[in-house]
Amino acid sequence: MPDFLLQTVFNASYAASYMALIAVGLVLIFGVMGVINFAHGELYMAGAYAIVFFYVWSGLPFFVAVALGLVFVGCLGILMELTLFRPLRTNPLGGLIASIGFLLILQTLAVLGFGLRNQNVPPVSQGRITVGGAFLTYERLYVIIATIGLLTALYFFLRKSKFGWALRACAQDREAAALQGISINQTARYAMFIGAALAGVAGAMTAPLVAPSPYMGHSVIVTAFIIIIVGGIGSLEGAVVAAVLYAFVHTFVTTFYDGVIANIVGLLLMLAVLVVKPQGLFGVRERA
Amino acid sequence: MKSASSISLTRRSLLTGAASAALLPLVGMPKASFAQENVVKIGFLAPLTGPVAAWGKPGLDGCKIWADWVNEAGGIEIGGKPYKVELASYDDEDDAGKARTGATQLIRENDVKFIMMLGGNSWPGVEEIAARQGMMVSTLLPSDLTPDTTTLIAPCEVHPIYNVTGVDWLAANHPDLKTAVVCAQDDALGKPSVATYLAAFEAAGITMASPPLFFDPATTDFAPVMTQLLANNPDILCLDTCYADYVQPLCEQAFQQGYKGKIISCTLDFYQRIVERTSKEFMEGVIFQFPDFDDKALNDPRINFKKPNEFFAEYVKRYGATEWSAVSWEYSSILDLWADAAQRAGSVEPADVLVAMKEGGKGKHAFGDARWWGKDLFGIDNALVGDWPVVVIRDGKATIAEFRSIPEWWDKNGQLLVKHMTDLGQMWNQRT
Repeated sequence: MPDFLLQTVFNASYAASYMALIAVGLVLIFGVMGVINFAHGELYMAGAYAIVFFYVWSGLPFFVAVALGLVFVGCLGILMELTLFRPLRTNPLGGLIASIGFLLILQTLAVLGFGLRNQNVPPVSQGRITVGGAFLTYERLYVIIATIGLLTALYFFLRKSKFGWALRACAQDREAAALQGISINQTARYAMFIGAALAGVAGAMTAPLVAPSPYMGHSVIVTAFIIIIVGGIGSLEGAVVAAVLYAFVHTFVTTFYDGVIANIVGLLLMLAVLVVKPQGLFGVRERA
Repeated sequence: MKSASSISLTRRSLLTGAASAALLPLVGMPKASFAQENVVKIGFLAPLTGPVAAWGKPGLDGCKIWADWVNEAGGIEIGGKPYKVELASYDDEDDAGKARTGATQLIRENDVKFIMMLGGNSWPGVEEIAARQGMMVSTLLPSDLTPDTTTLIAPCEVHPIYNVTGVDWLAANHPDLKTAVVCAQDDALGKPSVATYLAAFEAAGITMASPPLFFDPATTDFAPVMTQLLANNPDILCLDTCYADYVQPLCEQAFQQGYKGKIISCTLDFYQRIVERTSKEFMEGVIFQFPDFDDKALNDPRINFKKPNEFFAEYVKRYGATEWSAVSWEYSSILDLWADAAQRAGSVEPADVLVAMKEGGKGKHAFGDARWWGKDLFGIDNALVGDWPVVVIRDGKATIAEFRSIPEWWDKNGQLLVKHMTDLGQMWNQRT
């Protein structure tokens, strides 16, 4: 039984890691730009395909491919900001609809470029850590380490750097930030780059574990939305805590009962949080 | 308004006229040529994109080979006239609504005489239109059959009933294996297959180490699923009829979590990838139901599929060795049956072909002579059932171990299957 529990903890830690990366990116974009980016799942997909291109097809080392995937998807985010969200800044609904359109464009490009079938990404490593009777493969461990590293770096970036302050200021009050001389355009560009890049890294790091497909974004975006609602829309800390909470609840229920019940429990968790704390675990209540 | 006399010959109209005159032979001549030819169109309505595409697209690719070969040989002789075969495909994305749109288009706009489907989730969208139009439709999933679906046939796959042959073979060859676990996605494909495996394990004296585990079809991380499956140290890990995109991560998880027992699965599409991502040793002895068609056992005289090894070679040449899936040959084998019935009927009309196909209650299934069956399970004898191969991975390659008889198993254990189908609400009169 201890091995069984430990194995479940390993499984949950991995799930919490990549979901935290995706959810934090989504929250960052929403917080700074006020846009619900429905194409965020497809940015995750783009990161996975970056691994297919750079690692599988081009033969670059895996972690170099991940770094290139980060930059590539971050640039995709900047492209979205420039072409979709900036012209529609005064129209949040327009931004949402434009992101749905971009989602379809990215899916189609993936089909045209890589085909319909799931892509096979050769294992990066077949090594694993054994603790008692529980196993954690290196591939999953890399995802956990990358998440901890990136989120820690993001934390210090937001807290200690001038650009980080600008991002936080924009997230709190865009107009007040602009009055202080902060460039809204530049801040939005940074937010899109970082938010997209985090989703891209999640896709890139998990690509060897999930076999990339053009439609893989669907599966994560719903979960990401549940997580940011539970954590409190706009709260980065909330997204991380909610990702851990959701992943552990979902994984334990899946393991002890089944996956269908786990989905129901996940939604019930969201419902319970909304009833008790409508603004989410770390959300700030809006003034009337 | 210009009068006729006022129309003058401009440079633009002269150029247009000259271009039209130059193009006229190109447009007109083939039309005159095609008008001399009889063409019969066959509809292909299956998932070509999305997570179930692995059971649609490779089938269409196989059908293209079949059609090319038939047309190169002069077409099909029906009623004394040669017919060229054309395929009209529509991507139903495994969705009932899209399948309905596709069926309507194929029947009304493409004027197809026969529609081949994967079935399952998509069939409810087509059922009404097929009945209204009298359109003959084939499914790979006979669990779509009911007494009302008189124009629906399952002439190739008797999914999931053939899965009993794998368990039967496993029990006969590995009598030391006593416990099993099974998992499947919670849908119209997974549930009847679970019922079949439960019946087969019970018939073989193998007990279930834990109840069947159903997971959400949207699952992306299979580690928790596998952790639960392996919790009771089963001798046999049954992957049921999980979609191709699930079988690979499930096998990987079993490998990574140190599973040492036997694996049995309905399909093992693109198994080379799984071998690559686990190991030859781990995959050695994995049992499933779909052979590669370069297998020499398919050259046995009782096999009705035409030139299986050449078909496989052509498929690999066109699409690549790793593109072969469980369905690559199946829709083509259905086309063989359809062509044979159309020739005997002397007609391409669906009603005539259907009567000819079921004539005498017997048919030439890809894996040998078979009979039309199914009343006890589906309420209608529209499934062609006979022998089915048991395939085993040996040294990293799929190899036919034996052909086993489905009717023989049914005659001995049919009531068990009915019991488990009933328990899971999968009998034809229980499905909604």
